[in-house]
Amino acid sequence: MHKAPVLLVALAAFAFSGCAGSSRTSPDRPGLFILGIDGMDPVILQRLMDEGKAPNFKKLAESGGFQPLGTSNPAQSPVAWSNFVTGLDPGGHGIYDFVHRDPQTYLPTSSATPPPGDPGTFVKVGGYYLPVIAGDDLINNRTGTAWWDAVYAAGVDVEVYRIPGNYPVPESEAKTLSGMGTVDMRGGYGQYTWITDTVPTAPAGHDLKGDVQLVAVEDFDLDGTPETVKAAIKGPPDIFHLEPGKLPGETDYLTAPLTVSIDPAAEVALIELGAERVVLQEGEWSRWVPVSFDALPAGAMALGGSVRFYAKELRPGFKLYVSPVNLGADAPPQPISTSAEFAPELADLLGGQYYTQGMPEETNALKDGTFNDDDYVKQVALVQEDSSAMLSLALARFQRGDATFVYLSDIDLQCHMLWRHGDPKYAGAAPHPAFEPTSAEAHKLDIEGYYRHVDGLLGRVMDRLPPDTLLLAMSDHGFQPFTRVVHLNAWLRDQGFLVLKDGKRTGHIASGDVDWSRTRAYALGFNAIYLNLAGREAQGIVTASEAASVAEDLRTRLLAFKDDKDGHPVVLRVERSSDIYHGARVAEAPDLVVGYDRGYGHSDESTLGEILEPELADNTSRWSGNHLMAPEVVPGVLLSSRPLAAEGHDLTDVTATILAWYGVDPLPGMQGTPFLTP
Amino acid sequence: MARFNSILTLVFDVLLGRLGHDRPWFDLLLWPILGGIVALLVIKAVSNQAGITRAKNFIQVHLLEIVLFRDDLRVVLPATARALGYNLMYLGYNIVPMLVMIVPMTAILVQLVSHYAYAPTQVGSVVTVVASLDPAVGGVKPAEVSIELPPGVELDAPPVRSAGQEVAWRLRVTAPGDHVLKVHAGSQVEEKLLSAGGEARKVSVLRTKSLEAVLYPAEPVPAADSPIASIQIMERHDQPLGLLPAGESGILMWFFGVSLLAGFLLKDFFGVTL
Repeated sequence: MHKAPVLLVALAAFAFSGCAGSSRTSPDRPGLFILGIDGMDPVILQRLMDEGKAPNFKKLAESGGFQPLGTSNPAQSPVAWSNFVTGLDPGGHGIYDFVHRDPQTYLPTSSATPPPGDPGTFVKVGGYYLPVIAGDDLINNRTGTAWWDAVYAAGVDVEVYRIPGNYPVPESEAKTLSGMGTVDMRGGYGQYTWITDTVPTAPAGHDLKGDVQLVAVEDFDLDGTPETVKAAIKGPPDIFHLEPGKLPGETDYLTAPLTVSIDPAAEVALIELGAERVVLQEGEWSRWVPVSFDALPAGAMALGGSVRFYAKELRPGFKLYVSPVNLGADAPPQPISTSAEFAPELADLLGGQYYTQGMPEETNALKDGTFNDDDYVKQVALVQEDSSAMLSLALARFQRGDATFVYLSDIDLQCHMLWRHGDPKYAGAAPHPAFEPTSAEAHKLDIEGYYRHVDGLLGRVMDRLPPDTLLLAMSDHGFQPFTRVVHLNAWLRDQGFLVLKDGKRTGHIASGDVDWSRTRAYALGFNAIYLNLAGREAQGIVTASEAASVAEDLRTRLLAFKDDKDGHPVVLRVERSSDIYHGARVAEAPDLVVGYDRGYGHSDESTLGEILEPELADNTSRWSGNHLMAPEVVPGVLLSSRPLAAEGHDLTDVTATILAWYGVDPLPGMQGTPFLTP
Repeated sequence: MARFNSILTLVFDVLLGRLGHDRPWFDLLLWPILGGIVALLVIKAVSNQAGITRAKNFIQVHLLEIVLFRDDLRVVLPATARALGYNLMYLGYNIVPMLVMIVPMTAILVQLVSHYAYAPTQVGSVVTVVASLDPAVGGVKPAEVSIELPPGVELDAPPVRSAGQEVAWRLRVTAPGDHVLKVHAGSQVEEKLLSAGGEARKVSVLRTKSLEAVLYPAEPVPAADSPIASIQIMERHDQPLGLLPAGESGILMWFFGVSLLAGFLLKDFFGVTL
């Protein structure tokens, strides 16, 4: 018999057999659905429930329970979500702050991703650095076992959507999509491009975060009406030209050329980016537009991303916003999900690109002043549309017995940015220092609107889930107004713990301005103070025997730190990490964790090691709500469709409850206890 | 070429369109296999089969020489050079058949692409249509170009006229159908098909005077004296094909993959040396 026909039939059978996916059968028991609502505050939620503005939350609370949920210490999202993911405290999972520090250089580092050590071995050929031996991979700094791995191992189908702090993506058999902390194509947390013919003015004391490209609108067809703008979008670092191990400078990024043609008679433009064309009227947002960056010639290695445009103004001035280049969801140049196919699968099901950038709300443009509140709110609506579609998809895929987590950013960043227009928590509160009378009237109820939007989403979840499913709605922390900025390094200087060289009063750790031979403590991160410890810090002077007394001295003085404006205590609590953390990584923690009182928060400058003159200042930034305070002033929320056992639960109890729901034993080092009544 | 394309389009509109759209898997298996068979017949007819056989034999001989005498550089180096030489000869013998077979293969492939690669535009969505003026014809400025829309398609934004002699429209599709857009350029009118909603079917994304017309045969080429050089629908959505690879590149890879496989499996049956 001739082999060919048989093989062709076999090929056809393979191609068209319609083989089913590898979905497992979850246990024959009720499933679990968790809505993780970043930044939802129990006081605001209670008020809205009382006023009938959050009927679905009220219904959920009445069916099971509602109580404040203890947050992490410090109350920062990466720390809090890591507590939730692992059931450990920072001593176990190793995430202490948004910002960590390198004790050898005193420079800030990302808490999520320690810098890779060995960049590998390269040969330079024709101007290209070609890898010969691979270097260290970027790894996720979080340690401990994620709850989804333990639950998956128990035979449960798990899907986790946009979980914070999960980038770089640790290996997992469960389906996970990384959220907050996922980078854009440039490798940062989201840098937008502002193409304009007018030099933007940054608010006082604020450096522009966007990549500003000054352009001229040119008259290419010589008809007397300027109509064409040429610009470029920056993509990933030009890795084959960048010296291995070197951080990219401004000119070390791959670019994609962009042409904008403005119609001579109407406020409408044609944007050309690669093979893509988009028609955009003034004030409109574009769809996602794919963009490709060639790392090697002739398309031998093309890295794909996606951007959205916003035509802020076409005439008489020209202002075009380009979103950070999101990693292409259909084929991410680096993994953002487990399995690697999960992110493209979602793109397929959602009909294309979605926000892959960890924090997609464009807070930087609003802080820079290139966006006004109306622009910002329009952009938030796009993010909401995106996350609402993903929630619907997660619900459609959910089956009895499954465990699904969906993260919602609707509340958190909007509380950060819009609190100044009207305090949603304290009726009759004094106007915020960043209050803007021109836009306050239009936006004073926006935060309430976002709560109501989430209430609508919760209603959709409650309608769709199988009735015996355990539904949890929880947040990582609550919110408070942020009215006073603390320059903690300035306070340390004034208290004699931090000394600058040459008698200077201001400077920067990164600029070498600190005299380490006389410095006993320094602040880096949002709630962290490190002792300049001998044997640990490169130029440490505090001996092991002195450490306890220096720390105690600091603690006493911090608790006595009063606001010179009204005598209000600035700091509510100061903890030694060795007293509050447990696990193998306590030694990496800051020596002291500073818990600010309501209204106070670390300045951005001090967080990154800058020493300014004043210790305190009014917060005039649009970043006007905050939670980087003592944990007791910013608890989150916990709502359950089943009765709660008692009060006083925290994030690690949620983890313990998830495991208990599926009969999984607590993992080593886990802190929490289940909160459902038996 | 335009006439050849038109005839083929008519034929394939019957073979794929009227008979095929409810069974894409069948067409996407049958036509690549036929493509493979056509390739074999072309190779048999126009290639130097004896030369190919001789070149392959010598390549095998010299590879064997390299393996057997791998410790003796005086043997290995000349053998490698000879093996490379016969490889070049082998490639040379294949140039003519490749040049011949590229015509029928491309003709089949582009027809499969127009019928199965693109999904009709979804009703409710927007599309960008770009008309380019032909600088060789001239006489019409972008300001003199307008579009006439049928029921079921609406203008979603004012047109944009660019310095690059293009006019772009953003259109919103409000009803399913094979809509005919009429682009007026001075006194001339060119039509463009916009397929929306409904079943999978032939979808035309580009109508052009340029050489690209060979790859996009779904609509006739604009007349040589037309001021319009091309009309293009910018948004292209892949038509899902189940487990088969979708879109232009998916069908391209599938077509050549299956053709190659069919060719290798059937070469003995047709008495062809590859």
